Amino acid sequence: MDNSPKHTTDLVRQGLAKRYRQEARFRRMGMTAIILGLAFVSMLFISIIGNGYSAFWQTYAQLEVHLDASKIDPEGTRDSDVIADADYGGIIKQSLRDMFPDVTGRRDKRTLYRLVSNGASYDLKDFVVANPDRIGTTIQLWVPADDDIDMLMKGHFDRDKPESERRIKDNQIAWVDTFVEQNRIESRFNKTFFTAGDSRDPELAGIWGAATGSFFTLIITLLLAFPLGVATAVYLEEFAPQNKWTDVIEVNINNLAAVPSIVFGLLGLAVFINFIGMPRSAPLVGGMVLTLMTLPTIIIASRAALKSVPPSIREAALGVGASKMQMVFHHVLPLAMPGMLTGTIIGMAQALGESAPLLMIGMVAFIVDIPTGVLDPSTVLPVQIYLWADSPERAFVERTSAAIMVLLAFLIAMNALAVLLRKKFERRW
Amino acid sequence: MTFQIDSGIDLPGQELGLVSKMPAVENNGKVSRDDRKTVGDITHADPRMTCRDVHVWYGDKHALNDVDLDIGKNEVIAMIGPSGCGKSTFIRCLNRMNDSIDGCRVSGDLIMDGQDIYDRKMDVVLLRAMVGMVFQKPNPFPKSIFENVAYGPRIHGLAAAKTDIEEIVVTSLQKAGLWDEVKDYLDQPGTGLSGGQQQRLCIARAIAVNPEVVLMDEPCSALDPIATARIEELIDELREHYTIAIVTHSMQQAARVSQRTAYFHLGDLIEVGETDQIFTNPKHQLTEDYITGRFG
Repeated sequence: MDNSPKHTTDLVRQGLAKRYRQEARFRRMGMTAIILGLAFVSMLFISIIGNGYSAFWQTYAQLEVHLDASKIDPEGTRDSDVIADADYGGIIKQSLRDMFPDVTGRRDKRTLYRLVSNGASYDLKDFVVANPDRIGTTIQLWVPADDDIDMLMKGHFDRDKPESERRIKDNQIAWVDTFVEQNRIESRFNKTFFTAGDSRDPELAGIWGAATGSFFTLIITLLLAFPLGVATAVYLEEFAPQNKWTDVIEVNINNLAAVPSIVFGLLGLAVFINFIGMPRSAPLVGGMVLTLMTLPTIIIASRAALKSVPPSIREAALGVGASKMQMVFHHVLPLAMPGMLTGTIIGMAQALGESAPLLMIGMVAFIVDIPTGVLDPSTVLPVQIYLWADSPERAFVERTSAAIMVLLAFLIAMNALAVLLRKKFERRW
Repeated sequence: MTFQIDSGIDLPGQELGLVSKMPAVENNGKVSRDDRKTVGDITHADPRMTCRDVHVWYGDKHALNDVDLDIGKNEVIAMIGPSGCGKSTFIRCLNRMNDSIDGCRVSGDLIMDGQDIYDRKMDVVLLRAMVGMVFQKPNPFPKSIFENVAYGPRIHGLAAAKTDIEEIVVTSLQKAGLWDEVKDYLDQPGTGLSGGQQQRLCIARAIAVNPEVVLMDEPCSALDPIATARIEELIDELREHYTIAIVTHSMQQAARVSQRTAYFHLGDLIEVGETDQIFTNPKHQLTEDYITGRFG
């Protein structure tokens, strides 16, 4: 065969165009994949934010309330217990009747009362208890509007539809318009959403209870899963002999990582609640269940981090006479720590977004109170989202999306923390 | 010196008891290539470590076959031989660095201070404090220069006060010939130094625990000629205080730094002798083949 240089370059040149075409095709495929992925992610974000941003505002209505001393504090004691016991719901209703004196029918009146939230009477009570000197006077009080009115103001109800197809009746629209004419309605930042627990009334519902529950649950998960996972990884990677038993353990750890999370919930229900007798709906049990779920992730990530520490560092430590324990704890572990932390945070983010196993142990209950400890009944953010998504009220639609936004914000923050930690502690050798 | 007939080799007349206790000799006066028993004087007048009948297996692989060798006080002994000949395996036996390798088995007597270092009662930590090691690739800890040197003395509790540690660090760096270059940068990471400086830092780290023997496993193979020359000078200076066993691929280096040389071939210790003699007049055909560059 003719092997002259000219011949070879000719052959190479012939094939070059094909090679470049292949490369260009592969690049285009990669680009398409990335663009598709980004498109789906942005669709997700746009739909969630589009649905949810309005939940951060809440319609408030201003009422003219006469604080009738005979109703609040008939004996004039100014005792806060007496004041707190007064019928503020009645006073709110009275002020609405005063505002629209021509409403007479029982049913119409009931519709009228529904203009403002059930929470209005609590707001009024809080105001009067804080300002007992205002009893007997007439005050202007801003109270949250009912969720239907809120939806109407946010434009989620179509006024042009026939009355029978609307949730809001014509007379309600007329009253709301009166409020608007008198400048008695405005949109305010929805503080309740960030400070309250769950509620049947969308305008009173908030995610703080679920966020606190998530916080306690994750603390328990972190406290249990991190030391357990790191200790397991260090032992298996550095100390355990290589034999059949460690092989079996390794295979099982990898299998556990693939077990559907609801199975861990069933296990938690059977063992922690039914057998050990721990309380239902408690973050303690939730955290233990999520520990089982995140342990494989943390162990696998930690082992990979330990494996990536160069053997020369181990030899160096052993060479100057460090014991195996000193080698691991003085040199290998610090170098593996960024990888371990990253794995842990990814595991924690998984746990934060997990709902299925928590349904099994009762964290799906309707809980109004903000939990104050790991034994209080509580729910968590993803379960709260599930509960709200299941609720029929139109106002819960936007709150569901808003809660998803909060959850996503936490997840992004955690992942950013993982990146930061990795950057900060990353060492070169 | 013992002359054992290697069981793996059938010499004519062996079964008849006709083979003399003298090695087979080739026509040029060298010991035959097929003869794998050690030639030369394996003993040393003032031994620091005494190795007898040392065998090493990695799993089923017989990596080191019946090595007898003395390592003398304050000498530099060089181990040479082609790749895979067992020279690194041998010096890694001397401070039991092979312990951490899965499936590695060592048998035989390795005596230091009258005690077998593979004895159950021997503490590996103590052994490694007495027998330090410098590795092929410079491997400073990813910590400051000061911490690199101070680590050994600290874990062994060699110095109680902070000033004592500082003194050890300074003297070790001075002995390693690195002090003048790094004295203003002690808090800088050791990994930021050049390759040659890193290797001298590793030497400083090894001698900071005041070992009696320093093992060096191809300490210059990753370095340029200038850095190599510095390390070689250093080895010569260190001989005053320490016993040094050095593995090297460079025959010139062995000739320059060592007093005695041991030539390994495929797991056998072939020849031991004064360095001058090994390089000018090897007694074994394999040694001559190697140093004349016929293979290796």
